[in-house]
Amino acid sequence: MRNYENLVIIKPTFTAEEIQSSINAIEETITSNGGVIATTDAMGMRKLAYPINKNERGYYHVIYYSVAPSAISEIERRFRINEDLLRFVTIKYDTNREIAAWNHLVEKANKKAEAPTKEEVAPVQEEAPVATEEPAQEEVATTEESSTTQE
Amino acid sequence: MAEKRKYKKRYCKYCESKVDFMDYKDVGALRFSLSERYKIMPRRLTGNCKRHQDMIAAVVKRARAAALVPYSVTRKTVVTAPFENLR
Repeated sequence: MRNYENLVIIKPTFTAEEIQSSINAIEETITSNGGVIATTDAMGMRKLAYPINKNERGYYHVIYYSVAPSAISEIERRFRINEDLLRFVTIKYDTNREIAAWNHLVEKANKKAEAPTKEEVAPVQEEAPVATEEPAQEEVATTEESSTTQE
Repeated sequence: MAEKRKYKKRYCKYCESKVDFMDYKDVGALRFSLSERYKIMPRRLTGNCKRHQDMIAAVVKRARAAALVPYSVTRKTVVTAPFENLR
């Protein structure tokens, strides 16, 4: 068993329920291949850095899991067939240092999942204000980035 | 010469804060090593050590694959500001 992380970008045209069902399907492909999901992290609807298949936005979802290395090719094959996904990124956490980082990330994701459970209930409301703020905040956003790095 | 330089060759910022692992999802942390056009900044300008520069290169490329960081910023894409989505 080795630790992995998968980031999947789901099509933005889906409704909340459709997104949820496709996430469930994705997680099922992992578990059915012998994977044990440690935690998941919903990054939510974000603007993509560049359009993928003419989509400007995407729903980001991160899954941390451990699985036998031989199962990864099958999981990736299934992801490639899956038409709900715009993109997926699989990261291997192999060395001791990376495994420590993986544990840290899992912890962080768990904490995040515990705290904003109220927000997760209504993700659609969350998205709306972000979308309206976006065009105005071009300059501000970049400065905020640098401030977050210092934290 | 020396006054004209935008960046001074300095210490490695990542060594100072003892970064052992970088997360490609944390784009705010990568911003230091990226130019305005989201190119990876050379080591001679940022002062990063070789080890951390290699880590940055790998992490930025991952972030690009995940559409968190753009591959290229041209005049067209710069207008639509690729990076307002950071929270």
